[in-house]
Amino acid sequence: MADDQKPKTKLLDELEKGPWPSFVKEIKQAGEKSPVCDDLLGQLELSYEEKKGHWKHGGIVGVLGYGGGVIGRYSDLPDKFPNVAHFHTMRVNQPAGWFYTSDAIRTLCDIWERHGSGLTNMHGSTGDIIFLGTKTSELEPAFKELTEAGFDLGGSGSAMRTPSCCVGPARCEWSCYDTLKTCDDLTRQYQDEMHRPPFPYKFKIKCSGCPNDCVASIARADLSIIGTWKDDIRQDDAAVAQYARAGLDIRKDVCDRCPTRCMEWDGQKLAINNRECVHCMHCINVMPKALRPGQERGATLLIGSKAPIVQGALLSSVLVPFVPENELMDTLKELIRRIWEFWDEYGNNRERVGELIQRVGMANFLDAIGLDPAPEMVAAPRDNPYIFFQKEEAAAEPEPAGA
Amino acid sequence: MADVNAVAEEMYKLVAEFFGKKNLKAGDLTKAMIEKFGADCTKTDCKLAIRQLMESGRCVYSYFGGSYITLPHKEGAAPE
Amino acid sequence: MSAQAAKRITDIGPPHYDKFLHPVIKKNYGKWVYHETLAPGVLCHVAESGDRIYTVRAGSPRLLSVQTLRRFADLADKYCGGHLRFTSRNNVEFLLDNKEKIEALKKELNELGFPVGGTNNAISNIVHTQGWVHCHSSATDASGIVKAVMDVLYDRFTHEDLPAKLRVALACCLNMCGAVHCSDIAILGIHRRPPKIQHDVLSKVCELPTLISSCPTGAIRTKTVDGKQSVEVVEEQCMYCGNCYTVCPAMPMNDPENDGISIWVGGKVSNARSAPKFSKLAIPYLPNNPPRWPEVVRAVVNIVDVYAKNAKKFERLGEWIDRIGWPRFFELTGIPFTRYHIDDFKHAGLSYARSAHIRF
Repeated sequence: MADDQKPKTKLLDELEKGPWPSFVKEIKQAGEKSPVCDDLLGQLELSYEEKKGHWKHGGIVGVLGYGGGVIGRYSDLPDKFPNVAHFHTMRVNQPAGWFYTSDAIRTLCDIWERHGSGLTNMHGSTGDIIFLGTKTSELEPAFKELTEAGFDLGGSGSAMRTPSCCVGPARCEWSCYDTLKTCDDLTRQYQDEMHRPPFPYKFKIKCSGCPNDCVASIARADLSIIGTWKDDIRQDDAAVAQYARAGLDIRKDVCDRCPTRCMEWDGQKLAINNRECVHCMHCINVMPKALRPGQERGATLLIGSKAPIVQGALLSSVLVPFVPENELMDTLKELIRRIWEFWDEYGNNRERVGELIQRVGMANFLDAIGLDPAPEMVAAPRDNPYIFFQKEEAAAEPEPAGA
Repeated sequence: MADVNAVAEEMYKLVAEFFGKKNLKAGDLTKAMIEKFGADCTKTDCKLAIRQLMESGRCVYSYFGGSYITLPHKEGAAPE
Repeated sequence: MSAQAAKRITDIGPPHYDKFLHPVIKKNYGKWVYHETLAPGVLCHVAESGDRIYTVRAGSPRLLSVQTLRRFADLADKYCGGHLRFTSRNNVEFLLDNKEKIEALKKELNELGFPVGGTNNAISNIVHTQGWVHCHSSATDASGIVKAVMDVLYDRFTHEDLPAKLRVALACCLNMCGAVHCSDIAILGIHRRPPKIQHDVLSKVCELPTLISSCPTGAIRTKTVDGKQSVEVVEEQCMYCGNCYTVCPAMPMNDPENDGISIWVGGKVSNARSAPKFSKLAIPYLPNNPPRWPEVVRAVVNIVDVYAKNAKKFERLGEWIDRIGWPRFFELTGIPFTRYHIDDFKHAGLSYARSAHIRF
């Protein structure tokens, strides 16, 4: 297309200036080969002028047999911007840990240049590779080439989402279980639930190797898997002393910042009361050469986090305080099966599992999935006396005090 | 084990009956089939039946804040 | 089923990550001992074997053309034996086994316009949503605001000079595809008027019971309008969440005059020191003012600057506010405290000050 036919984008051009990399430049660059980008820019410029979006949500586009992985999108001004009249998104399962070779990147680029706008997100909020913008007729051909290259679609709608994980043992000394393997196993295990929406609403799983939670699992996953350890923090006293000599104020910056004040520094030696450690990671973060997570490793499983829609935002809360690493996958599969069974049966349309638990109560949920209550599950026991006693228990002989 | 073909056929009837009136989710169809066929019909049978309906193109998934199973149709948002 | 359909490949999942790992990573998988930061954006991880892997992290606009991705692939070939990855905050990371190549790679990245940084106590990339580029329900754009804010916070990305990590996130509506609700600073697009009901098409495109039950406050009721089945919205009960629009396209929320931005602060997801927590409302409304949203940029930069100046080492924004208290936060930032800052949804009482602990 000749330059004089390119859309006038006075407002967007402003966003080509400045030091941070510019998405407008990216769209224009893709537009050198893909004319749909010109209409995308034209419509976006109009949104900037009018302060309003111009997309409509599609409902039924997808690839044959799948109900997930494609987000239908149509312009509400198809006459004005015919090249983006259809502009659907494809979500593609990312390799665990977002590792690639240059060849894999080029393969993805070639497919998307042939069948779509040439615009991507690396990556979307959930973690998928996002292919941004194509016509309905290109969905099947793109899918065919993707699967032939070893890639598959992610989830959307009332379905499992592609799980995601932190960099884990691939490049982090703190990872308390194999986040990549767990994420990859779960992604493969639940392809059906990802591609053929079976649930009341979405279900997300995120795997973080340590309590620093680099994939925000506690805020964003229905099932949060956060690595932790049970034994003592591994401690290299010589390295601690070296940090002190290098100017780190261990008392102020490490001990006083410990949430349970479980450590003391006498100027020579750091003493940690590991029984009182809550595994927050602060001291380890500050002195990575001197302190390391222990060796009895595994994960804490938490349940229920979500963004505000519908009934308000939730953080995940503890479901299983500790699962040893070698039992993790089996425990997860069994637990997920029971959780889904309950949610399938009782969840309302668009009710995330966290909201269902809020509605029916955690204790009832625990009963349903066959877990015993544990004090790690609560910040504190209830402070209100409106207790729903179960009939059979109230009728039974009272247990002796202190039993 | 129920006959998956028979389950698929009953599901299709239900989807066709409610088309344009009420959106049915995979869970709604599964519950209805288990009620109709009794304990013989498992969730796995229903899953396979849905898969058959989708892969033959007789039914499609639709999305409006939730994923539903419906008959193929031209969607409202699509341009002419 | 036709022969063609039978050949269809489905449900294979992603390629196995093992195929993509750098040889040094494969060899030392799970055997890393410690890491150090060589410069902002440059990490060195040391394995039990003594092997080292170097990481150079660069910011990206998230929205990437295939041309730029191919450029990244070329850089990976030139410096990293073809190995690269992306982070959860949309940064690109190049993985090197040769320390000598770091400076040349950094230079090329900077020349291409991709800043190296985003580690430790720097502001990392702003995670964000699609906005007007690709979303039907956005109350604002996403990429444009991120670009405008990061242009001004650029030095905070390339330098690690903040008291602690600072995580900024943007979501263009309450659906929060970007799950911004636990960020140090969250930029959130909001609507401020109830949906404009399209009575003439509503009953054709939407299912009434689903629509009515979609409202978290029960504000939607059936109503016959001009002889057609439709609904009405009890305005006093509507808090503009847009859930009805998600289930029914005849309830559009877009409103150029009233849509805009709210700013939330003090959330975190890490367990380090204090427990994970939600972001709290700082500024209820700022106007949509494209292309550079100056009001939003000023507000974010002000909060960052006041935090940088006043917080102690290792204090995340929310931890700093916990120490000084919300009255001081509003005083120091000059942000007015309004009726909108007091919660009135479920469990609102839990956020009231239920003690006589007051700082004067």
